Amino acid sequence: MGFRALRVINDDRIAPGRGFGAHAHRDMEILTYVLDGGLTHRDSMGETRTFGADTIQVMSAGTGVIHSEFNASEQEPGHFLQIWIEPAVTDTEPSYQQISIDPKERSGRFKLLAAPRGHNHDEAMTIHQNAFVYAAVLGSGENLRQKLAPGRHAWVQVARGNVSMNGEELAEGDGAAVSDEQDLSFTGGPDGSEFLYFDLA
Amino acid sequence: MLDINTLVTFSSRTGSTEKLALAAALGAVQSRSNIRLRWVPENVDVQTISLVPEWRANRDRMAREYIAPREIDYLWADVLVIGLPARDRVPFPELKTYLDILKGLHIAGKLRGKVGTAFTTESIEQSDPALVSLCSILDGLDLILVPPDATAAGNTVDRARLHGRRVTEVARDLKRAGTTAFP
Repeated sequence: MGFRALRVINDDRIAPGRGFGAHAHRDMEILTYVLDGGLTHRDSMGETRTFGADTIQVMSAGTGVIHSEFNASEQEPGHFLQIWIEPAVTDTEPSYQQISIDPKERSGRFKLLAAPRGHNHDEAMTIHQNAFVYAAVLGSGENLRQKLAPGRHAWVQVARGNVSMNGEELAEGDGAAVSDEQDLSFTGGPDGSEFLYFDLA
Repeated sequence: MLDINTLVTFSSRTGSTEKLALAAALGAVQSRSNIRLRWVPENVDVQTISLVPEWRANRDRMAREYIAPREIDYLWADVLVIGLPARDRVPFPELKTYLDILKGLHIAGKLRGKVGTAFTTESIEQSDPALVSLCSILDGLDLILVPPDATAAGNTVDRARLHGRRVTEVARDLKRAGTTAFP
């Protein structure tokens, strides 16, 4: 199940005022990427936060977290990606991080959202795994290239629109696993594209 | 490690008991138990609840975040944790709601050997007669009782968390020992 340390990507569409009641996580790095609407998060660490598409959240469940997540709006539906990455170490102290990003930062380029703990990426959040998570937004026909180091693997998840990756057409909701490739070329489809890129050990 | 399923049920008016229930559930998670959190709504009319804005707001939120316990939850559980508000050392009348469910399961023999524990908002802070009477009721339902550790250190939330952890570990030890408590 999953690909390398990437366990699952949940594509959640949540009706107004609805969500996921209190439930537990343990030993999992959980990234929440909001596409539409807003999410209210409440957890056993005492965090209660509402955030939208300009904010990315990472929760390291470690020894255990109980939390709930609800669509912050009583009128508008919400659309979220929730990404689970298995940590390289277990029983860590639970933690919570979030960063705000300007849409320009992922327009036509890869914006680093999360990096392994110990790497010095001031603007990114840290996770307990040798994995880098990026987001990118491409306009129609816009091209972006990425190098994948030997021995590394990638997962591409299309959040919106269509994108061509080395000639392979990917539509919204598609995911693609990449191994044994070093040069990746992405081109936005007719309506552009927003996608996540995972660089994995 | 043996799988243990812990059902944490609670009633809460202004959120104090919910906070302790969450802490107890977190302790169970830290002990690598599967958990389910269930909320038992109070038997109080909406007009009365609306007189206390904080109570009404919490009730609306909890109604959204939790579901009530179902029979299948009790059957799933190896450990039952019951949290009740208490005031002046008397448990609130929500207790009757639990007993209506538990007595039916007891008569059907479906609680035999499960590990049970209870706490009130006051029992985590001090010795509470309401807890003693609550435990004696659970004892009559064939549950193996694990009372809160009166010597546990820390604040109320820490103590609730440690209690959740402790009761789960007791259940795992019993299960590992092959007791007939877990058919």
